[in-house]
Amino acid sequence: MELYEYSAAKLSAMMEQGEISAHELCESVFRRIEGTDPEVHAYLTLQKEEALKQADEVDKLRRSGESLPPLAGIPVGIKDNICTKGLRTTCASRMLHNFVPPYDATVIKKLRAQYAVIPGKLNMDEFAMGSSTETSYFQKTANPHDLTRIPGGSSGGSAAAVAAGSAVVALGSDTGGSIRQPASLCGVVGLKPTYGAVSRFGLVAFASSLDQIGPFGRTVEDAALLYDAVCGPDSMDATSVRRDVTPIAPQLHASVKGLKIGLPHEYFEEGVEESTKKAVMNAAAELEKAGAKLIPLSLPSTGYGLSAYYIIASAEASSNLARFDGVKYGYRTEHFETLEQMYENTRSEGFGDEVKRRILLGTFVLSSGYYDAYYKRAKMLQQQMTREFVSVFEQCDLLLTPTTPYTAFKLGERIDDPLMMYRCDVCTVPVNIAGLPAVSLPCGRDDRGLPIGMQLIGPHFSEARLLNTAYSYEKLIGGFPPMPRLAGKEGAK
Amino acid sequence: MNIDVRHIAKLSRLHLNEEEIPKFTEEMEKILAMVEQLPPIEGEGTLLDPDHPMELREDKAQTLYRRDELLANAPEVEAGCVVVPKVVD
Repeated sequence: MELYEYSAAKLSAMMEQGEISAHELCESVFRRIEGTDPEVHAYLTLQKEEALKQADEVDKLRRSGESLPPLAGIPVGIKDNICTKGLRTTCASRMLHNFVPPYDATVIKKLRAQYAVIPGKLNMDEFAMGSSTETSYFQKTANPHDLTRIPGGSSGGSAAAVAAGSAVVALGSDTGGSIRQPASLCGVVGLKPTYGAVSRFGLVAFASSLDQIGPFGRTVEDAALLYDAVCGPDSMDATSVRRDVTPIAPQLHASVKGLKIGLPHEYFEEGVEESTKKAVMNAAAELEKAGAKLIPLSLPSTGYGLSAYYIIASAEASSNLARFDGVKYGYRTEHFETLEQMYENTRSEGFGDEVKRRILLGTFVLSSGYYDAYYKRAKMLQQQMTREFVSVFEQCDLLLTPTTPYTAFKLGERIDDPLMMYRCDVCTVPVNIAGLPAVSLPCGRDDRGLPIGMQLIGPHFSEARLLNTAYSYEKLIGGFPPMPRLAGKEGAK
Repeated sequence: MNIDVRHIAKLSRLHLNEEEIPKFTEEMEKILAMVEQLPPIEGEGTLLDPDHPMELREDKAQTLYRRDELLANAPEVEAGCVVVPKVVD
């Protein structure tokens, strides 16, 4: 077995015991990147020299007898909308193709304090707007399980890198499903934390009231380790919630005895593939056998989630993206005489079509005469959906649903039909609307061998409960399937 | 729902060319038809979350960045200032 194939938890222990060095691990991950990325295209920017330097620093500290945190020396891939000082951060947009942040996001500061190694920046949908990573200005990322299919999005590069072994763990961001949906389609674990659990400082804003940074891992424990490393309050983000934080990874236990799991029937209705329903219900049966209690219930407003989401998210996006004007940073058009022309041409040349659609929709729903009919009603619906979640959590501890209605589709299959693309998010957007935490984890394959994911949703700040339940399921099935075989010189191993 | 994409684009500081107008109009109309499916709903549209009042940090000046670092990303800089086209005669 090659080093890149191990879990972060195992690698951490191996480094601690002196069996391997951080340098060797970093070399192994870069060999894997060089072997697979010409086909997977997960990375937008690599920094091998800097990563090896970070790894050498870890080895030096360890030799001097220092006791290091669990992520020390672990290669963590970073979605390209999270600012990394001195390392290009593009949001996969022409608008930021040359942007080198003068500061680190809070999550990056925390990773550096843990001596994590950063191999590079990962591809995504432009400004995180999309569900297939195909709206990236630079490249299309392939699903490591089938290179002709999409990895999901918008954090498609993060999910694909973790699935392919070209990162041990990775950070993504989730506004309407952008961590959970690609995790599901790539067969890895992805956690969308409670709104306010992780600082958004340094995350390029898309929809500020919905965005949240979260981890990807090939095991539940790895996702927990990365979550523990980046969560917590931050004075630089006024929406980050002040509360005590207890690390979750060291207390994971495999017991679901007495746990009440709700099954909202709206998430199993039309549009959800039979193989997905079956896989999720099989997982429910496994958890029941292990002592959990299944409770059928209803979340009546679920069907309105997509409407509320696309109104709120686009409204906030149209406002947030007003800052891209060609003045202070990023792309500037060469074709202008007046200031007005400079703004318009910079934005028209710098943004792709999906970003333009969302800006137009957002501007429309906020414009005079339409605000009450769209934005205000969507915000009221948001409250109603939140109340429904609060009330079902009086009957159960968490909810189990499919993460996506279907498995990975072909590259190019839906890119010309925005509505078909938006429907990918039907099971994930209600979670962002209500600010809840949710985790997606693998629960089987369809008849084409493509991964199916299930989603566990919990009350605010129930990350420990969610990850414990996910961990129990992982243990019940004897661990998740091994990494997909990839063609290419490294993939054959 | 008819939507005046030309006007919305103007408000958004986006320039759409003549070929793009019908394409975006059609797409926007389809998207609006989807998002219009909201239930009749009663209540206040208060946008604040009483359970999570935001806490602001102390309003104190801090030196976090150097001017030259911040200006390094600007498309055009002169004498420590960003350069834009003339706006007043």
